Amino acid sequence: MLNKQKYDNAFMASFSISQDELNNKLVYQSIPAWDSVGHMGLMTAIEEAFNITLEMDDILDFSSYGKGVEILQKYDVIL
Amino acid sequence: MLKGKTALITGSNRGIGRALIEAFAKDGADILAHARAGSSGFVHDMQRVATLYGVNVRPIFFDLLDVTSMKSAIRAVVTAGIPIDILINNAGVAHGGLFQMTPINEIRRVFEVNFFSQLELTQIISRIMCRQKSGSIVNIATIAGLDLQIGNVAYGVSKAALMAATKTLASELAHFNVRVNAVAPGLTDTEMAKLMDNKAEKAMVNRSAMKRMARVEEIADVALFLASDRASFINGQVLRVDGGSE
Repeated sequence: MLNKQKYDNAFMASFSISQDELNNKLVYQSIPAWDSVGHMGLMTAIEEAFNITLEMDDILDFSSYGKGVEILQKYDVIL
Repeated sequence: MLKGKTALITGSNRGIGRALIEAFAKDGADILAHARAGSSGFVHDMQRVATLYGVNVRPIFFDLLDVTSMKSAIRAVVTAGIPIDILINNAGVAHGGLFQMTPINEIRRVFEVNFFSQLELTQIISRIMCRQKSGSIVNIATIAGLDLQIGNVAYGVSKAALMAATKTLASELAHFNVRVNAVAPGLTDTEMAKLMDNKAEKAMVNRSAMKRMARVEEIADVALFLASDRASFINGQVLRVDGGSE
């Protein structure tokens, strides 16, 4: 599976949303499911998908669908 | 109860920690036995336990106040493909003294070990457990943190904070099938108890309905129960193990 697909799947599974909702307007708390509890679920799903452990600062900075792409580059995950 | 599970037990070289090693190994758990610093005596002791009960006991060393070495040690465990199903936050320091005779820096030091370092480790391990979608965390606290008698402004209050955190973490992590509970032992027959002021020790024993100290095995057995699937619907609880109180 491509990294982009894994990334999208993590969002879709964590927030029960569809592919067409994945865009740069998707930010923390922009949908009811992306609250603080949902955020930790997303972080766990992403760690699992890419077999990485996100640093605390990156968990806090992971504020949008687009920002996440940028953060994952630090972990050699290129989307 | 624990066959096939791996437990990380902190402060496992003496006292309640050493009893936890024995109880968990006897019950079939593989163990990551934490101590602050390595010693051949400890490594040899852990090998003996492993052989006796036919389980894996891997010594793991880091200072709880050194986050870098803590992370590095846990990373080595994860890289080796070892799961962590159970975390027992047992390591801690004792302290007694009246508030007005206790420097604030001393209270900070006790909190660093008994509270903040436990949270730091729990934060790392709970994320592993969340990925696994299962786990059990048991914090070893004390009734001193519940009763909060005089002289407990550092030790008792730091453990009270740990017990409060137990409840909120239990709520937050339940979603990932990770349980968090605490054991609050009464005065227990350990080296740490021997450091206690005689008068305070007698008073604490006297407040116990059974008029004696706990044996370390009695505390370890309760922690084992809470860690196991036998306690699968117990979450966010603090269990007093003090022989009852008068």
